[in-house]
Amino acid sequence: MADFLQFNEVTKHYGSLTAVNGVSLNIKRGEFFSLLGPSGCGKTTLLRMLAGFERPDKGRVMLDGEDITERPPNKRKVNTIFQNYALFPHLTVRDNIAFGLRVAHVAEATIKQQVDEMIDLIQLGAHAHKKPHQISGGQKQRVAIARALINKPEVLLLDEPLAALDLKLRQRMLLELDQIHDQVGITFLYVTHDQGEAMSLSDRIAVMHEGRIEQLGTPAEIYETPHSSFVAAFIGDTNFFDGRVETVVDKDYCQLRIDGFPSVICYNDKRKQPQDLVHLSVRPEKFRLSLEQPSLPPQHNLVEGTVQEVVYLGSQTKYLVNVQDYSLAITQQHSRFLLDQRPIKWEDRVWVWWHADDGYMLDRYREQDEALLEMPAH
Amino acid sequence: MVRRIAQKLKVEWLLTMPSLVWLTLLFVIPTTLVFAIAFKPADPWGGIGAGWTLDTIRSLGNPNYPAIIWRTLWISFVTTACCLVLAIPCGYYIARAQQRWRRLLLLLTVIPFWTSFLIRIFAWKVLLHPDGHVKRGLVALGLADESTMLLYRSEAVLLVMVYTLLPFAILPIYAAAEKFDFKLLEAARDLGATPWRAFRQIFLPGIRRGLLTAVLMVLIPSLGMYIIPDIVGGPRSEMIANKIAQRTFVDRNVPHASALSAALTLAVMAPMLVVLLGRRKREVS
Amino acid sequence: MKRSRIPVLTTWAVLIFFYLPIFVLIIHSFNASRFSGAWEGFSLRWYIRLFSERDIWLALKNTLIVATATTVLSMVLGTIAAFALHRFNSRLQKVHYTLIYTPLVVPDILMGISLLLFFVAIGLQLGLLTIFLAHTSFCVSYVALVVLARLQDFDFAIIEAAQDLGANWWTTTWRVLLPLLAPGIAAGGLLAFTLSIDDFVITFFVTGPGATTLPIQIYSMIKHGAPPLINALSTLLLIVTFVIVWTIQHLTQEEHV
Repeated sequence: MADFLQFNEVTKHYGSLTAVNGVSLNIKRGEFFSLLGPSGCGKTTLLRMLAGFERPDKGRVMLDGEDITERPPNKRKVNTIFQNYALFPHLTVRDNIAFGLRVAHVAEATIKQQVDEMIDLIQLGAHAHKKPHQISGGQKQRVAIARALINKPEVLLLDEPLAALDLKLRQRMLLELDQIHDQVGITFLYVTHDQGEAMSLSDRIAVMHEGRIEQLGTPAEIYETPHSSFVAAFIGDTNFFDGRVETVVDKDYCQLRIDGFPSVICYNDKRKQPQDLVHLSVRPEKFRLSLEQPSLPPQHNLVEGTVQEVVYLGSQTKYLVNVQDYSLAITQQHSRFLLDQRPIKWEDRVWVWWHADDGYMLDRYREQDEALLEMPAH
Repeated sequence: MVRRIAQKLKVEWLLTMPSLVWLTLLFVIPTTLVFAIAFKPADPWGGIGAGWTLDTIRSLGNPNYPAIIWRTLWISFVTTACCLVLAIPCGYYIARAQQRWRRLLLLLTVIPFWTSFLIRIFAWKVLLHPDGHVKRGLVALGLADESTMLLYRSEAVLLVMVYTLLPFAILPIYAAAEKFDFKLLEAARDLGATPWRAFRQIFLPGIRRGLLTAVLMVLIPSLGMYIIPDIVGGPRSEMIANKIAQRTFVDRNVPHASALSAALTLAVMAPMLVVLLGRRKREVS
Repeated sequence: MKRSRIPVLTTWAVLIFFYLPIFVLIIHSFNASRFSGAWEGFSLRWYIRLFSERDIWLALKNTLIVATATTVLSMVLGTIAAFALHRFNSRLQKVHYTLIYTPLVVPDILMGISLLLFFVAIGLQLGLLTIFLAHTSFCVSYVALVVLARLQDFDFAIIEAAQDLGANWWTTTWRVLLPLLAPGIAAGGLLAFTLSIDDFVITFFVTGPGATTLPIQIYSMIKHGAPPLINALSTLLLIVTFVIVWTIQHLTQEEHV
């Protein structure tokens, strides 16, 4: 059976700029699907082609077996939550929500009943008569959701819907969005540049970069097994090492030689051969840190270094540890065990270790990605 | 694709045509007509003669014109200068006033802007009248005697022009000052600048665009001013526009009036073009 | 930080400068004396006289006819022009914009004389019709620029939102676009109305026998005596102005929040 929502080889140019470059994507009915990527990666263009605001230069967009590529936005069973909500400033909350039904010439009595239900659902009964400028950001967000959902769309499109909210509110709306998705059970297509939002909400994520999909998978797959340096760097923080395969130890592991760093052992799922150039990616929380030299079972790497910086963040602490030419970003959760010990301080000599399976080998990235990799860690 | 572009072009023409046709018919063609008639001879019966001639243009060198042109220029420039000097502190003050005061001050500035031009001129005619309050006040103070004539002189024209055009200078300067970041003045003071220096080197460049707009909004109507010299000025304070009206209605010499109008228009457009070109050059570089 | 007192003093001096002549005029409209020099007691006689002046009423009627027609047509033409200027970015629109902008900067007297010559050349009878044509020619530009400014502040995601919710082109225009632009179009219309009512110079050139407007009437009254009568008329017009300005303030306020 064909998938519910399909992009087939979709391409879109703006002048000489290629916004979307031959993207194919299948989304299942009822799925919470996210398009994640930096600004200008083509994710919004893809969403706008599904909404009907843009027409692809090449390729088709299919919804539930129907070709909707050429259909105007008002003839699609798709509704959008806009980035800044785009509520009609001259209409009240109630009339904003009723807009879609009015346009569809639904009987006034039915409209009233459905709008009332919707207003109850989003708990804005006390504000129904107000204009958009009189309510708060979170309330606007809920009106935008209600205004879209009342039309019973088959797909709900969300274009950076939380970008305009402050951190606390964003976290609360994240939960609300998740609940709404569970309640209505329709397909959600969510566009964001914030990996945290995408990770916590989505069933599947497509990471986009320069008009193409870099990787498609569940949040855990994308985080734990990134297919490219770009994905590894864009999703979460990571430490990169430039290395060369020295020896293949056995069928699972190989030894890497890294300039300016001790030689390390690494899980070799990509079947790399000696002399292959690779990147090794190790996430900051995969490292362990202690003042005393630990005794370790095999398949562990152990290096010694100097603490350059300690940043206490409450729930965790970030360390920057110099090991030869490299500066490792390391994150540690606090535990009783750690608190009982003497805390690690600036300029301490420390031991850093990690399991070979926690390192992840990638092909060397392209040069144009380097700028992205140098983005400040969040 | 092609059909979509063709459709877009059709929509564009549909939306552009009404105003384009209207303005071509009632602005471009009549203006061109004036410029063309400037090259026609006048016939003695108040009509337009046959053939083409440069005589009309040449007659602009006629000895009584330079005096009028000179007067038009100095009155316009002095008016503009006075308006700027008064409008800059006003714009500054209104922009820095508290929200509630600002609304009121703006309203008070805008009302004269919307009030009938003729009435505002007439109000001054009454005040400056030989029996009016200003005259009697000056006599009482010993600054004038009974024979002093306040009306029908260039100074009266100047005063009333400043009065009527000042709101046109205050509003753009206020608009620019409102967007100005006044913390910059504090920064300048912090770095050791005197208030006057901070004002001159930080504030004035900061509202440059507003100042330019203000100059144009005052200078352009000044150069073409007809009604103020006509009401509060006398024969010795005529400006170009008065001469144009006189040539049209009294002397019935249409080519002459046209030549004068064309010259005036070019004079008015000159500062506009200078500003626009300067702006474009700066944007390019 | 100590602030200079020059700005506050200048501002109040300027405001006194603005309003003093107007107040003197208003007070004199209630003066029983024929001459502004002497105060001979409060009287409404000039207002009563005003109501019996047929010429003034006729001029007022003419002015309102011209101003209403001008406002309606320039609102339509100006709004359409603003849409074209906003929506398209072509060479045609550059020409269009120049054409819209130039009437604002050429001297009134040029527009007056050029239209006079034009109307005479095509044999059009001078009168209310020619005044209306002349007024519309410069009012279109004002309306277009006011509406264009509003369009530039307009969030076009709202239009997309309407389409997204099922509205077609027609519904979007009528239910969303025009209601949202209404304050801007109204402000442009009010500007056109005021400009038309107030215009003297251009009207002076293109008016014909019997087509006297209020400014022309006031002008001839100023030129040929009867100052107290003008005082009374001016006072009434000032009241109308206050009402109009207040309405505009109200319209723009609504739009600001």
